[in-house]
Amino acid sequence: MTAAKIIVNEIKGYHRFVKFLIVLVSLGALASLARFVFGLGVTTNLNDTFPWGLWISFDVVTAVPLAAGAFTLGAIVHCFHIKKLEPLVRPAIVTGFLGYSLVCVGLLLDLGQPQRCWHTMVYWNPHSPMFEVSMCIAAYTTVLFLEFLSPVCEKFGYHVPLRLLRTIEMPLVVAAASISTLHQSSLGTFFLIAVDKLHSLWYNPLLPLLFWLSAMCAGISIIIVEATMSHKYMGQPDESELLETLAKILPWGITVYLTVKVFSLVALTEGPLFNRPGLLVLFAVEVVCGVLLPLVMLMNGNVRENNRLRATAAWLVIAGVILNRFNVSMFGMEAPGTFYYPSFLESVVTIGIIAAHILFFVLIAKYFPIFEHHPETVDYSIPDHFRKNEQGHAHGAAKA
Amino acid sequence: MSSENKDFGKNKAFLIDMTKCTGCRGCQVACKQWNQLGAEKTEFFTGEGYQNPPLMSEYTFTRIKFRDYEKNGQNEFAFYKEMCMHCNEPACASVCPVGAFKKTKEGPVTYDADRCIGCRFCMVACPFGVPKYEWSKALPLVRKCTGCYSRVKEGLKPACATTCVSAITYGNREDMIKEANKRIAARPEKYLKKLYGSEEAGGTSVIYLTALPFDELGFKPVTKRPLPSYTWQALRLVPGIFLTVGSSLSLLSWFNHRKERIAKEEEQRKSGATPKEES
Repeated sequence: MTAAKIIVNEIKGYHRFVKFLIVLVSLGALASLARFVFGLGVTTNLNDTFPWGLWISFDVVTAVPLAAGAFTLGAIVHCFHIKKLEPLVRPAIVTGFLGYSLVCVGLLLDLGQPQRCWHTMVYWNPHSPMFEVSMCIAAYTTVLFLEFLSPVCEKFGYHVPLRLLRTIEMPLVVAAASISTLHQSSLGTFFLIAVDKLHSLWYNPLLPLLFWLSAMCAGISIIIVEATMSHKYMGQPDESELLETLAKILPWGITVYLTVKVFSLVALTEGPLFNRPGLLVLFAVEVVCGVLLPLVMLMNGNVRENNRLRATAAWLVIAGVILNRFNVSMFGMEAPGTFYYPSFLESVVTIGIIAAHILFFVLIAKYFPIFEHHPETVDYSIPDHFRKNEQGHAHGAAKA
Repeated sequence: MSSENKDFGKNKAFLIDMTKCTGCRGCQVACKQWNQLGAEKTEFFTGEGYQNPPLMSEYTFTRIKFRDYEKNGQNEFAFYKEMCMHCNEPACASVCPVGAFKKTKEGPVTYDADRCIGCRFCMVACPFGVPKYEWSKALPLVRKCTGCYSRVKEGLKPACATTCVSAITYGNREDMIKEANKRIAARPEKYLKKLYGSEEAGGTSVIYLTALPFDELGFKPVTKRPLPSYTWQALRLVPGIFLTVGSSLSLLSWFNHRKERIAKEEEQRKSGATPKEES
């Protein structure tokens, strides 16, 4: 009883916005319950012509690249060794972990037989991109969970597991990057099978590569947006200097993406490009607002130094990636004369999942040390230096 | 899958001669009876002509599509039996994460409902729009024509081919193609000189003969390349990419960390025991 009372009192103390998020999440949970009671056909607008709808297009195909910040930053900081960016890593890992966990939730809702999800681990079909993605997502969610355990162990002062986690940190970072490379690109491979279905504006053999590149751009942008917002709304430390560095890396990513995109469009596309005016508009919006505009903005030093403009450019990249995923998985797949739009319940579930992401991030930031990295009480030096610098130097490890 | 150079000539195949089809829909009924499929409440004239039911569904694995057209000033009907094409290299079998679809050695592509997790990738992948879903159920499964595998493996013909008096012939795929070409050669003024299904999606176990252009009947233009090869050209790189990315990042980080470690040791040696913070 008392425990429940403590929780209720705690929740009462939350900000209005957090309470609003809790309501949204509960509504989403109720709506997903309706899917299991009444069936997919009644609660969604899916049918035999549109077997995949909002839940696949947003909750899976879009949410996965949006959660790419963790592996991208992990590789930048630990493998390319740009150590000063380290304060951004933990929030990025939390975002990634939440993102992937919620992808799993979205996937389970969309599966016809969610109780059989373990079948992918037993009945292997290596020819299926879906098999690869499900294996990778399972593996990567585990990796992210392990990475996320660090702040949890710090919070409760579990020193032994913490040392273990520190020891396997580098293998985890490398595993994260290589697993992510596979499944981010395989989401593009999904649509390679839709030969005569996906419009040629998006269909080309390099789709997997484009998905991977755009996922990394989205990941970096998400980190910029998230750090800007948690500084503004959650009173967290100002990381603008670090974000400027990220904003300097980002245009390189976008340029590579744009180059591959133009090349694949010009050299590798087989079908007609200009036969569907509606799709052409979507494509133009995606490329102009989501790729070219932020690229031009971020090449300008003034934009990179300005908090608001930098965040705006990052938002544009994110919006571009979201639109791209919707174009590939939804709009570009629609045959002429047919149209799918998500039902009310489908939308409520998706809104609930987005709200859950923000809510859990706020709550985790509230209860776990994800912004204060490297507290003095914890000795991080051992695995970082393989016990070589231990004597007399133990507490001198990286301090930003 | 795509690497196996299998001979599909001995697979059993349907030869559907649509000039001989009278639109009696006996095949539809036989299919419902053999597969014990539920009835559908339908209305006449919701589709084109006498088309009924309007679409294939979880209850209708095959159906006759009607098409009105004018020939020499006379109104005529054309019919097209819609069903699973039982591709030689099926896209559904290739994309199914749990391998619920299987191309049997007899020819039919079967579906194992006990494995299916309901991801509906097969429906996205199938170029002919064949797999259908049990949308009304809380835990739905996929439904599609099984080529009457339960009959075929006992040496019987599929239910629709048994019922049909003239339009459906069933036998070895190479014989069916030979027979089709023979019919075209015998009456070149009647038939279109093209077989639908001989090359579509890398070849299927359903071969169509018509008098009307295929696109007019509602046949989808489909690539000649087997569909699994489209995804496989990317997927086959997976182990290589995994090892390359993994090892290059490991090397990179080991090298970068080593530089730092050496620098630190150097610094430590110079400054003696006084700990110094790095930048």
